[in-house]
Amino acid sequence: MTESPTAMPMTAVARALRARALSPLELVDAYLARIDAAPELRAFITPPGAAARRQVQRAAERIARRETGALLGVPIAIKDLFATRGVRTTVGSKILRDWQPGADAAVVTRLRKAGAIVFGKTNLHEFAYGVSNANPWWGVARNPVDPRRSPGGSSGGSAIAVVAGMCAAALGSDTGGSIRIPAALCGCVGLKPTRGAVPLQGAFPLGWSLDHAGSLTRTVADASLLFQILSGRPAPSRVRTRGLRVGVVRGSITERIQPGVGARVEAAARGLRRAGLRVRDVTIPELDWTVATQLVTLRAEASAVHARWIRQRPRSYGTDVRVRLQLGALVSGVDYVVAQRARDRLRDALDRAFDAVDVLLLATTPITAPVIGERVVRWRAAEEPIDGALVRLTSPFNLSGLPALSVPCGEAGGLPVGVQVVGRWNDEPRVLAVGQVIEEFAQE
Amino acid sequence: MPVTERDRLAAVGRAAGLRLASSDLDRLLPAWKRYIALVEELRAQVVPEPIHGDD
Repeated sequence: MTESPTAMPMTAVARALRARALSPLELVDAYLARIDAAPELRAFITPPGAAARRQVQRAAERIARRETGALLGVPIAIKDLFATRGVRTTVGSKILRDWQPGADAAVVTRLRKAGAIVFGKTNLHEFAYGVSNANPWWGVARNPVDPRRSPGGSSGGSAIAVVAGMCAAALGSDTGGSIRIPAALCGCVGLKPTRGAVPLQGAFPLGWSLDHAGSLTRTVADASLLFQILSGRPAPSRVRTRGLRVGVVRGSITERIQPGVGARVEAAARGLRRAGLRVRDVTIPELDWTVATQLVTLRAEASAVHARWIRQRPRSYGTDVRVRLQLGALVSGVDYVVAQRARDRLRDALDRAFDAVDVLLLATTPITAPVIGERVVRWRAAEEPIDGALVRLTSPFNLSGLPALSVPCGEAGGLPVGVQVVGRWNDEPRVLAVGQVIEEFAQE
Repeated sequence: MPVTERDRLAAVGRAAGLRLASSDLDRLLPAWKRYIALVEELRAQVVPEPIHGDD
């Protein structure tokens, strides 16, 4: 085996372990060496420890007995908001710094059942409520491509761990883009499945109606396998991509975009056309309501989750999260209802768009990874808060619940760019198939 | 006696049961103004129908 195991896709790792071409103990040592070599990236809140080693030993014994399991012996890092039995689960906070759950989250149970090794708890924005991953309690996470820059968040630690070769794949959660944003900014694949396809039981909530669980991986095939395991769905039959209809999202929501990022979206559209897909432009004016609709919905829902703590112990939160939660406590019922009306219309508009196309294509983020501490992005006519810019193109699909995949599609200014493929409700097979086409030509 | 936006925000915060220090108000006020502007725009675009429509 010539390729370093730390660079191998999860599916290749699983195959090599099954074939006994790779020892799980050597694999874990290689990942641990990568973690030890880059503490400044702050990928983990709780790095893999003795419990992970015990799991590896058991996996090695099972492999020797020729037992099977789709992920037998495969180390998967877990975002530190999924409960792990007996392993500290902080949710990136000071408030829960000593929480030791009595049971695993449903997704962790499913991974263990497939034979995976729970490989440490990754860093996140405090309570997953932000996209910079500048965590005041557990360290400012840094982009492995350029450590002066943000990895994005809130699943920033998971993206770092995947891109820096510290695990085979990682779990994340996504309420406004928290899987897809760090995947795009760091250069890996991020899948936010259809709302409800992957169970949230045992995940600490951020916004009840917006939360999704999913994965960060090196390849689309890895995302596909993890989705089968996490959702409990069978492997999809092969999707024929030739002739599929792709709608490139145009209109004001996609107009403010860095030229280098826009160029990669156009390259993705050209590549899909060359691969035999039918590409056309689509405009969905209701997408312009996304920012306000997401803001009102998430502010209110997150403040409901934190209703007691934000009133009783506001100083136990970092500054940015405290302000967001305090603001959410002031959202009126009328505003929340107006936002849900807007959300219904946004969903209807997306449904209508899918009458004419099979998938949508747009950038995951309109900018590449910002320098840590930057607050605004300057467009020709106006300034936009970076946090708002980062969720502008991802949050419509939290509001609608539709499946969305971020796939690396080259670079702009030496930084990774992700493009987003969005599908109809429960149409992960087509989303993943189109993502795989992009992945193939993006690597050429 | 003139009432500033900051005073109004402090009163709304107290009514919501928040303990807002002066520094909290300083940070919250610009966020609150941005929030109000966005919501007013949304309200203007998405007027709830007074009677049930087709949806």
